[in-house]
Amino acid sequence: MSLATIFEKYPNRQYIMFGGKGGLGKTTFSAATAYYLAKKGKRVLVFSVDPQASLSDIFERDIFGKGNIEIIPNLYACEVDADKRIRDYQEEIRQKIISMYGMEKIPEEIESYIRASSAEPAMEESAIFDAVVDIVVKGDFDYYIYDLVPLGHALYYLSMASIYDAWLEKITGLREQMREYDRAIATMQREDVSEEDEIYKELMYIKNRIGASSKIMTDTEKTAFFFVLTPEEMIIADTEKAAGLFAKYDVPLAGYVVNRVISRGLLDEKIPEYLRNRIEMQAHALDVINEKFGSLVLARVPEFDSEIKGLDTIKKLAEVMFEETLS
Amino acid sequence: MAKKKNEKKKKSGGIVGFLRDFTYGMATHGMARHALKTRSSMEHLFILITMGDMLGIPILPPYYSLRLLPHVVPQITTWKRRMLREKDFVESMY
Ligand SMILES: Nc1ncnc2c1ncn2[C@@H]1O[C@H](COP(=O)(O)OP(=O)(O)OP(=O)(O)O)[C@@H](O)[C@H]1O
Ligand SMILES: [Mg+2]
Repeated sequence: MSLATIFEKYPNRQYIMFGGKGGLGKTTFSAATAYYLAKKGKRVLVFSVDPQASLSDIFERDIFGKGNIEIIPNLYACEVDADKRIRDYQEEIRQKIISMYGMEKIPEEIESYIRASSAEPAMEESAIFDAVVDIVVKGDFDYYIYDLVPLGHALYYLSMASIYDAWLEKITGLREQMREYDRAIATMQREDVSEEDEIYKELMYIKNRIGASSKIMTDTEKTAFFFVLTPEEMIIADTEKAAGLFAKYDVPLAGYVVNRVISRGLLDEKIPEYLRNRIEMQAHALDVINEKFGSLVLARVPEFDSEIKGLDTIKKLAEVMFEETLS
Repeated sequence: MAKKKNEKKKKSGGIVGFLRDFTYGMATHGMARHALKTRSSMEHLFILITMGDMLGIPILPPYYSLRLLPHVVPQITTWKRRMLREKDFVESMY
Protein backbone atom coordinates (compact mmCIF):
# COMPACT_ATOMS: atom_id res chain seq x y z
CA MET A 1 0.00 0.00 0.00
CA SER A 2 1.12 3.55 -0.62
CA LEU A 3 0.99 6.54 1.68
CA ALA A 4 -1.69 8.20 -0.47
CA THR A 5 -3.97 5.15 -0.34
CA ILE A 6 -3.72 5.07 3.46
CA PHE A 7 -5.10 8.59 3.58
CA GLU A 8 -7.84 7.74 1.07
CA LYS A 9 -8.81 4.53 2.76
CA TYR A 10 -8.95 5.93 6.28
CA PRO A 11 -10.38 9.44 6.02
CA ASN A 12 -11.28 9.40 9.72
CA ARG A 13 -7.68 9.22 10.82
CA GLN A 14 -7.30 12.92 11.38
CA TYR A 15 -4.47 12.86 13.93
CA ILE A 16 -1.24 12.23 12.13
CA MET A 17 2.10 11.64 13.81
CA PHE A 18 5.55 10.99 12.46
CA GLY A 19 7.85 9.45 15.00
CA GLY A 20 11.45 8.42 14.81
CA LYS A 21 14.91 9.11 16.07
CA GLY A 22 16.37 12.60 15.94
CA GLY A 23 17.09 14.12 12.55
CA LEU A 24 15.57 11.41 10.37
CA GLY A 25 12.94 13.64 8.78
CA LYS A 26 9.90 13.90 11.08
CA THR A 27 9.49 17.64 10.62
CA THR A 28 10.15 17.37 6.91
CA PHE A 29 7.48 14.69 6.49
CA SER A 30 5.02 16.51 8.72
CA ALA A 31 5.35 19.64 6.60
CA ALA A 32 5.14 17.73 3.31
CA THR A 33 2.09 15.76 4.46
CA ALA A 34 0.39 18.95 5.63
CA TYR A 35 1.17 20.52 2.27
CA TYR A 36 -0.23 17.55 0.38
CA LEU A 37 -3.46 17.37 2.38
CA ALA A 38 -4.00 21.14 2.11
CA LYS A 39 -3.59 20.91 -1.67
CA LYS A 40 -6.24 18.21 -1.57
CA GLY A 41 -8.62 20.74 -0.04
CA LYS A 42 -8.39 19.67 3.61
CA ARG A 43 -7.99 22.13 6.45
CA VAL A 44 -4.75 21.14 8.09
CA LEU A 45 -2.89 22.25 11.18
CA VAL A 46 0.69 21.14 11.59
CA PHE A 47 2.06 21.98 15.01
CA SER A 48 5.30 21.64 16.84
CA VAL A 49 6.19 21.77 20.48
CA ASP A 50 9.89 21.78 19.77
CA PRO A 51 11.66 24.85 21.18
CA GLN A 52 14.11 24.54 18.27
CA ALA A 53 11.45 26.17 16.07
CA SER A 54 11.85 23.72 13.22
CA LEU A 55 8.61 24.56 11.41
CA SER A 56 9.77 28.17 11.18
CA ASP A 57 12.90 26.82 9.49
CA ILE A 58 11.19 24.61 6.98
CA PHE A 59 8.45 27.09 6.04
CA GLU A 60 10.96 29.93 6.16
CA ARG A 61 8.63 32.02 8.30
CA ASP A 62 8.95 33.07 11.90
CA ILE A 63 5.86 31.53 13.45
CA PHE A 64 7.22 30.77 16.94
CA GLY A 65 4.70 31.52 19.67
CA LYS A 66 2.38 33.33 17.26
CA GLY A 67 -0.59 30.96 17.17
CA ASN A 68 -1.95 29.34 14.01
CA ILE A 69 -0.33 30.96 10.98
CA GLU A 70 -1.65 30.42 7.48
CA ILE A 71 1.12 29.18 5.21
CA ILE A 72 -0.91 28.50 2.07
CA PRO A 73 -4.71 28.28 1.79
CA ASN A 74 -5.92 25.50 4.13
CA LEU A 75 -2.47 24.95 5.62
CA TYR A 76 -1.81 26.35 9.07
CA ALA A 77 1.28 25.94 11.17
CA CYS A 78 1.80 26.55 14.85
CA GLU A 79 4.82 26.51 17.10
CA VAL A 80 4.06 26.46 20.79
CA ASP A 81 6.19 28.69 22.99
CA ALA A 82 6.31 26.52 26.09
CA ASP A 83 8.24 29.01 28.24
CA LYS A 84 5.73 31.74 27.61
CA ARG A 85 2.88 29.39 28.30
CA ILE A 86 4.41 28.48 31.65
CA ARG A 87 4.98 32.12 32.58
CA ASP A 88 1.43 33.14 31.68
CA TYR A 89 0.06 30.19 33.55
CA GLN A 90 2.05 30.94 36.71
CA GLU A 91 0.72 34.47 36.61
CA GLU A 92 -2.80 33.14 36.25
CA ILE A 93 -2.28 30.97 39.34
CA ARG A 94 -0.96 33.95 41.32
CA GLN A 95 -3.98 36.05 40.35
CA LYS A 96 -6.27 33.23 41.32
CA ILE A 97 -4.71 32.92 44.76
CA ILE A 98 -4.85 36.65 45.31
CA SER A 99 -8.50 36.92 44.40
CA MET A 100 -9.52 33.73 46.21
CA TYR A 101 -8.12 34.84 49.54
CA GLY A 102 -8.23 38.58 49.10
CA MET A 103 -4.48 38.71 49.61
CA GLU A 104 -2.29 41.66 48.81
CA LYS A 105 0.72 39.55 48.13
CA ILE A 106 1.41 35.87 47.60
CA PRO A 107 2.93 34.32 50.76
CA GLU A 108 6.66 33.73 50.37
CA GLU A 109 6.32 29.98 50.76
CA ILE A 110 3.76 29.77 48.00
CA GLU A 111 5.66 32.15 45.74
CA SER A 112 8.84 30.14 46.00
CA TYR A 113 6.91 27.02 45.15
CA ILE A 114 5.47 28.66 42.04
CA ARG A 115 8.90 29.89 41.01
CA ALA A 116 10.60 26.56 41.63
CA SER A 117 8.01 24.72 39.59
CA SER A 118 9.28 26.21 36.33
CA ALA A 119 12.78 24.92 36.97
CA GLU A 120 11.64 21.33 36.82
CA PRO A 121 12.18 19.58 33.51
CA ALA A 122 8.83 17.87 33.88
CA MET A 123 7.21 21.29 34.01
CA GLU A 124 8.06 22.01 30.43
CA GLU A 125 6.96 18.58 29.30
CA SER A 126 3.68 18.70 31.11
CA ALA A 127 3.01 22.25 29.91
CA ILE A 128 3.64 21.12 26.35
CA PHE A 129 1.40 18.15 26.90
CA ASP A 130 -1.35 20.48 28.00
CA ALA A 131 -0.75 22.85 25.09
CA VAL A 132 -1.23 19.95 22.70
CA VAL A 133 -4.46 18.98 24.41
CA ASP A 134 -5.58 22.58 23.95
CA ILE A 135 -4.85 22.44 20.25
CA VAL A 136 -6.50 19.13 19.48
CA VAL A 137 -9.65 19.37 21.59
CA LYS A 138 -10.79 22.47 19.70
CA GLY A 139 -11.50 20.29 16.68
CA ASP A 140 -11.62 22.98 14.01
CA PHE A 141 -9.32 21.28 11.49
CA ASP A 142 -9.74 18.23 9.28
CA TYR A 143 -6.24 17.10 10.10
CA TYR A 144 -3.85 17.64 12.98
CA ILE A 145 -0.27 16.79 12.27
CA TYR A 146 1.96 16.47 15.33
CA ASP A 147 5.54 17.34 14.65
CA LEU A 148 6.98 15.38 17.51
CA VAL A 149 10.38 15.77 19.01
CA PRO A 150 12.29 12.47 19.20
CA LEU A 151 10.64 9.31 20.40
CA GLY A 152 11.22 9.87 24.06
CA HIS A 153 8.79 12.71 23.93
CA ALA A 154 6.06 10.76 22.25
CA LEU A 155 6.58 8.07 24.82
CA TYR A 156 6.38 10.62 27.60
CA TYR A 157 2.98 11.65 26.26
CA LEU A 158 1.77 8.11 26.14
CA SER A 159 3.15 6.94 29.43
CA MET A 160 1.98 10.10 31.13
CA ALA A 161 -1.52 9.43 29.94
CA SER A 162 -1.64 5.85 31.10
CA ILE A 163 0.21 6.33 34.39
CA TYR A 164 -1.73 9.39 35.44
CA ASP A 165 -5.03 7.93 34.41
CA ALA A 166 -4.60 5.21 36.99
CA TRP A 167 -3.12 7.62 39.52
CA LEU A 168 -5.90 10.18 39.18
CA GLU A 169 -8.42 7.43 39.65
CA LYS A 170 -6.92 6.74 43.09
CA ILE A 171 -6.54 10.35 44.12
CA THR A 172 -10.10 11.28 43.19
CA GLY A 173 -11.15 8.24 45.21
CA LEU A 174 -9.26 9.59 48.21
CA ARG A 175 -10.85 12.98 47.70
CA GLU A 176 -14.29 11.42 47.66
CA GLN A 177 -13.51 9.63 50.90
CA MET A 178 -12.41 12.90 52.44
CA ARG A 179 -15.76 14.38 51.47
CA GLU A 180 -17.53 11.51 53.16
CA TYR A 181 -15.68 12.30 56.37
CA ASP A 182 -16.51 15.99 56.00
CA ARG A 183 -20.16 15.12 55.76
CA ALA A 184 -20.05 12.76 58.71
CA ILE A 185 -18.22 15.28 60.87
CA ALA A 186 -20.60 18.07 59.89
CA THR A 187 -23.56 15.93 60.82
CA MET A 188 -22.06 15.01 64.18
CA GLN A 189 -21.38 18.64 64.91
CA ARG A 190 -24.78 19.67 63.59
CA GLU A 191 -23.30 21.91 60.96
CA ASP A 192 -24.24 22.43 57.38
CA VAL A 193 -22.51 20.19 54.91
CA SER A 194 -19.83 22.33 53.33
CA GLU A 195 -19.87 23.59 49.77
CA GLU A 196 -18.80 21.82 46.65
CA ASP A 197 -15.27 20.52 46.60
CA GLU A 198 -13.26 22.77 44.29
CA ILE A 199 -10.29 20.44 44.41
CA TYR A 200 -12.41 17.54 43.29
CA LYS A 201 -13.56 19.62 40.35
CA GLU A 202 -9.96 20.46 39.44
CA LEU A 203 -9.00 16.81 39.64
CA MET A 204 -11.82 15.87 37.30
CA TYR A 205 -10.69 18.58 34.93
CA ILE A 206 -7.11 17.24 34.93
CA LYS A 207 -8.39 13.73 34.48
CA ASN A 208 -10.40 14.76 31.46
CA ARG A 209 -7.49 16.63 29.91
CA ILE A 210 -5.13 13.70 30.24
CA GLY A 211 -7.83 11.26 29.24
CA ALA A 212 -8.70 13.23 26.09
CA SER A 213 -5.11 13.09 24.94
CA SER A 214 -4.57 9.42 25.63
CA LYS A 215 -7.85 8.60 23.92
CA ILE A 216 -6.67 10.31 20.75
CA MET A 217 -3.23 8.74 20.82
CA THR A 218 -4.62 5.24 21.06
CA ASP A 219 -7.69 5.54 18.86
CA THR A 220 -7.13 3.38 15.79
CA GLU A 221 -10.10 4.97 14.08
CA LYS A 222 -8.78 8.49 14.35
CA THR A 223 -5.03 8.31 14.65
CA ALA A 224 -2.24 7.26 12.36
CA PHE A 225 1.28 6.95 13.66
CA PHE A 226 4.07 6.64 11.09
CA PHE A 227 7.62 5.67 11.84
CA VAL A 228 10.34 7.46 9.94
CA LEU A 229 13.54 5.52 9.37
CA THR A 230 16.54 5.52 7.09
CA PRO A 231 18.19 2.53 5.45
CA GLU A 232 20.87 1.92 8.09
CA GLU A 233 21.22 -1.18 10.24
CA MET A 234 21.44 0.73 13.51
CA ILE A 235 18.34 2.77 12.71
CA ILE A 236 16.40 -0.33 11.73
CA ALA A 237 17.21 -1.96 15.06
CA ASP A 238 16.22 1.17 17.01
CA THR A 239 13.01 1.51 15.05
CA GLU A 240 12.04 -2.08 15.79
CA LYS A 241 12.66 -1.53 19.48
CA ALA A 242 10.62 1.68 19.51
CA ALA A 243 7.79 0.06 17.58
CA GLY A 244 7.68 -2.64 20.25
CA LEU A 245 7.44 -0.02 22.99
CA PHE A 246 4.72 1.87 21.18
CA ALA A 247 2.73 -1.29 20.65
CA LYS A 248 2.68 -1.67 24.43
CA TYR A 249 0.84 1.64 24.69
CA ASP A 250 -1.61 0.59 21.97
CA VAL A 251 -0.48 3.29 19.56
CA PRO A 252 -2.08 2.57 16.18
CA LEU A 253 0.91 2.05 13.92
CA ALA A 254 -0.05 2.98 10.36
CA GLY A 255 3.24 2.14 8.69
CA TYR A 256 6.86 3.01 7.98
CA VAL A 257 8.32 5.65 5.70
CA VAL A 258 11.91 5.20 4.61
CA ASN A 259 13.82 8.42 4.07
CA ARG A 260 17.01 9.44 2.32
CA VAL A 261 17.27 6.58 -0.13
CA ILE A 262 20.11 7.31 -2.55
CA SER A 263 19.28 6.60 -6.19
CA ARG A 264 20.88 3.42 -7.53
CA GLY A 265 21.06 5.16 -10.89
CA LEU A 266 24.08 6.99 -9.52
CA LEU A 267 26.07 3.75 -9.68
CA ASP A 268 26.32 4.18 -13.45
CA GLU A 269 27.89 7.58 -13.04
CA LYS A 270 31.30 8.68 -11.93
CA ILE A 271 30.83 8.95 -8.19
CA PRO A 272 33.26 8.82 -5.28
CA GLU A 273 33.99 5.47 -3.71
CA TYR A 274 32.36 6.30 -0.37
CA LEU A 275 29.06 7.05 -2.11
CA ARG A 276 29.27 3.77 -3.98
CA ASN A 277 29.75 1.99 -0.65
CA ARG A 278 26.86 3.82 0.89
CA ILE A 279 24.53 2.83 -1.92
CA GLU A 280 25.55 -0.83 -1.49
CA MET A 281 24.99 -0.62 2.25
CA GLN A 282 21.61 0.97 1.70
CA ALA A 283 20.64 -1.77 -0.74
CA HIS A 284 21.30 -4.35 1.94
CA ALA A 285 19.47 -2.34 4.60
CA LEU A 286 16.48 -1.88 2.29
CA ASP A 287 16.28 -5.67 1.92
CA VAL A 288 16.25 -6.01 5.69
CA ILE A 289 13.52 -3.35 5.93
CA ASN A 290 11.39 -5.22 3.39
CA GLU A 291 11.87 -8.45 5.27
CA LYS A 292 10.99 -6.97 8.64
CA PHE A 293 8.25 -4.49 7.80
CA GLY A 294 7.04 -5.76 4.41
CA SER A 295 3.79 -4.24 3.27
CA LEU A 296 3.85 -1.72 6.10
CA VAL A 297 6.55 0.21 4.23
CA LEU A 298 4.44 2.92 2.62
CA ALA A 299 7.01 5.07 0.86
CA ARG A 300 10.70 5.25 0.06
CA VAL A 301 11.75 8.86 -0.20
CA PRO A 302 14.91 9.71 -2.11
CA GLU A 303 17.80 11.74 -0.81
CA PHE A 304 17.45 15.29 -2.13
CA ASP A 305 20.57 17.15 -3.10
CA SER A 306 19.61 20.10 -0.94
CA GLU A 307 18.06 20.68 2.45
CA ILE A 308 14.27 20.56 2.41
CA LYS A 309 13.27 24.16 2.99
CA GLY A 310 10.75 26.51 1.48
CA LEU A 311 7.47 25.74 -0.28
CA ASP A 312 8.99 24.73 -3.63
CA THR A 313 11.10 21.99 -2.14
CA ILE A 314 8.32 20.89 0.22
CA LYS A 315 6.09 20.52 -2.80
CA LYS A 316 8.66 18.38 -4.63
CA LEU A 317 9.06 16.18 -1.60
CA ALA A 318 5.28 15.84 -1.16
CA GLU A 319 5.01 14.80 -4.79
CA VAL A 320 7.48 11.94 -4.41
CA MET A 321 6.11 10.93 -1.02
CA PHE A 322 2.54 10.71 -2.28
CA GLU A 323 3.41 9.77 -5.87
CA GLU A 324 1.23 12.49 -7.33
CA THR A 325 1.75 15.74 -9.21
CA LEU A 326 0.37 18.68 -7.24
CA SER A 327 -0.95 21.94 -8.66
CA MET B 1 -17.00 35.77 43.02
CA ALA B 2 -13.68 36.29 44.74
CA LYS B 3 -15.42 37.76 47.72
CA LYS B 4 -17.81 34.87 48.00
CA LYS B 5 -14.94 32.41 48.05
CA ASN B 6 -13.28 34.47 50.70
CA GLU B 7 -16.28 34.19 52.94
CA LYS B 8 -16.46 30.51 52.38
CA LYS B 9 -12.92 30.14 53.58
CA LYS B 10 -13.59 32.18 56.66
CA LYS B 11 -16.63 30.13 57.50
CA SER B 12 -14.90 26.79 57.35
CA GLY B 13 -11.61 28.25 58.60
CA GLY B 14 -9.55 25.52 56.93
CA ILE B 15 -8.63 22.31 58.58
CA VAL B 16 -6.63 24.13 61.22
CA GLY B 17 -9.49 26.33 62.33
CA PHE B 18 -11.69 23.35 62.20
CA LEU B 19 -9.41 21.41 64.49
CA ARG B 20 -9.13 24.30 66.92
CA ASP B 21 -12.87 24.88 67.10
CA PHE B 22 -13.31 21.24 67.55
CA THR B 23 -10.76 20.79 70.29
CA TYR B 24 -12.38 23.52 72.32
CA GLY B 25 -15.93 22.44 71.74
CA MET B 26 -16.38 18.79 71.19
CA ALA B 27 -13.36 17.21 72.79
CA THR B 28 -15.42 14.64 74.56
CA HIS B 29 -17.08 13.34 71.48
CA GLY B 30 -14.96 10.29 70.77
CA MET B 31 -16.44 9.40 67.44
CA ALA B 32 -16.13 12.87 66.02
CA ARG B 33 -12.57 13.00 67.24
CA HIS B 34 -11.73 9.81 65.50
CA ALA B 35 -13.34 10.98 62.29
CA LEU B 36 -11.49 14.25 62.46
CA LYS B 37 -8.20 12.53 63.02
CA THR B 38 -8.72 10.29 60.05
CA ARG B 39 -9.86 13.20 57.96
CA SER B 40 -6.79 15.15 58.93
CA SER B 41 -4.36 12.39 58.05
CA MET B 42 -6.11 12.11 54.72
CA GLU B 43 -5.57 15.81 54.23
CA HIS B 44 -1.86 15.38 54.81
CA LEU B 45 -1.70 12.42 52.51
CA PHE B 46 -3.57 14.37 49.88
CA ILE B 47 -1.26 17.36 50.06
CA LEU B 48 1.75 15.10 50.05
CA ILE B 49 0.74 13.37 46.86
CA THR B 50 -0.45 16.43 45.04
CA MET B 51 2.15 18.93 46.18
CA GLY B 52 4.92 16.42 46.77
CA ASP B 53 7.26 18.22 44.41
CA MET B 54 7.74 20.83 47.15
CA LEU B 55 9.78 18.19 48.89
CA GLY B 56 11.38 16.98 45.71
CA ILE B 57 9.01 14.08 45.17
CA PRO B 58 7.35 14.75 41.84
CA ILE B 59 4.11 12.83 41.61
CA LEU B 60 1.60 14.79 39.62
CA PRO B 61 2.82 16.54 36.44
CA PRO B 62 3.91 19.93 37.81
CA TYR B 63 1.75 21.82 35.35
CA TYR B 64 -1.28 20.21 36.88
CA SER B 65 -0.23 20.29 40.50
CA LEU B 66 0.11 24.05 40.13
CA ARG B 67 -3.59 24.05 39.25
CA LEU B 68 -4.42 22.63 42.66
CA LEU B 69 -2.15 25.04 44.52
CA PRO B 70 -4.66 27.89 45.00
CA HIS B 71 -7.00 25.53 46.80
CA VAL B 72 -4.48 24.34 49.34
CA VAL B 73 -2.71 27.59 50.17
CA PRO B 74 -4.01 27.64 53.77
CA GLN B 75 -2.88 24.08 54.40
CA ILE B 76 0.54 24.38 52.83
CA THR B 77 2.19 26.36 55.60
CA THR B 78 1.21 24.08 58.45
CA TRP B 79 1.77 21.04 56.35
CA LYS B 80 5.27 21.99 55.32
CA ARG B 81 6.21 22.78 58.88
CA ARG B 82 4.97 19.40 59.99
CA MET B 83 6.79 17.58 57.20
CA LEU B 84 10.04 19.32 58.00
CA ARG B 85 9.67 18.53 61.66
CA GLU B 86 9.13 14.89 60.86
CA LYS B 87 12.08 14.94 58.51
CA ASP B 88 14.32 16.45 61.21
CA PHE B 89 13.08 13.87 63.59
CA VAL B 90 13.83 11.01 61.22
CA GLU B 91 17.24 12.43 60.40
CA SER B 92 18.12 12.88 64.06
CA MET B 93 17.76 9.14 64.54
CA TYR B 94 20.75 8.40 62.31
N1 LIG C 1 15.00 13.21 1.82
C1 LIG C 1 15.84 14.15 2.25
N2 LIG C 1 16.81 14.63 1.46
C2 LIG C 1 17.67 15.59 1.89
N3 LIG C 1 17.61 16.13 3.09
C3 LIG C 1 16.67 15.71 3.94
C4 LIG C 1 15.73 14.70 3.56
N4 LIG C 1 14.90 14.49 4.61
C5 LIG C 1 15.32 15.32 5.59
N5 LIG C 1 16.36 16.04 5.19
C6 LIG C 1 17.10 17.06 5.97
O1 LIG C 1 17.53 16.45 7.19
C7 LIG C 1 17.48 17.37 8.25
C8 LIG C 1 16.69 16.78 9.39
O2 LIG C 1 15.35 16.62 8.99
P1 LIG C 1 14.12 16.96 9.98
O3 LIG C 1 14.35 18.25 10.64
O4 LIG C 1 12.88 16.77 9.21
O5 LIG C 1 14.33 15.77 11.00
P2 LIG C 1 13.58 15.55 12.38
O6 LIG C 1 13.36 14.10 12.48
O7 LIG C 1 12.39 16.43 12.47
O8 LIG C 1 14.69 16.02 13.40
P3 LIG C 1 14.52 16.34 14.96
O9 LIG C 1 14.49 15.02 15.63
O10 LIG C 1 15.73 17.14 15.26
O11 LIG C 1 13.23 17.11 15.10
C9 LIG C 1 16.90 18.65 7.70
O12 LIG C 1 17.92 19.53 7.43
C10 LIG C 1 16.21 18.21 6.40
O13 LIG C 1 16.18 19.23 5.43
MG1 LIG D 1 11.84 17.90 13.96
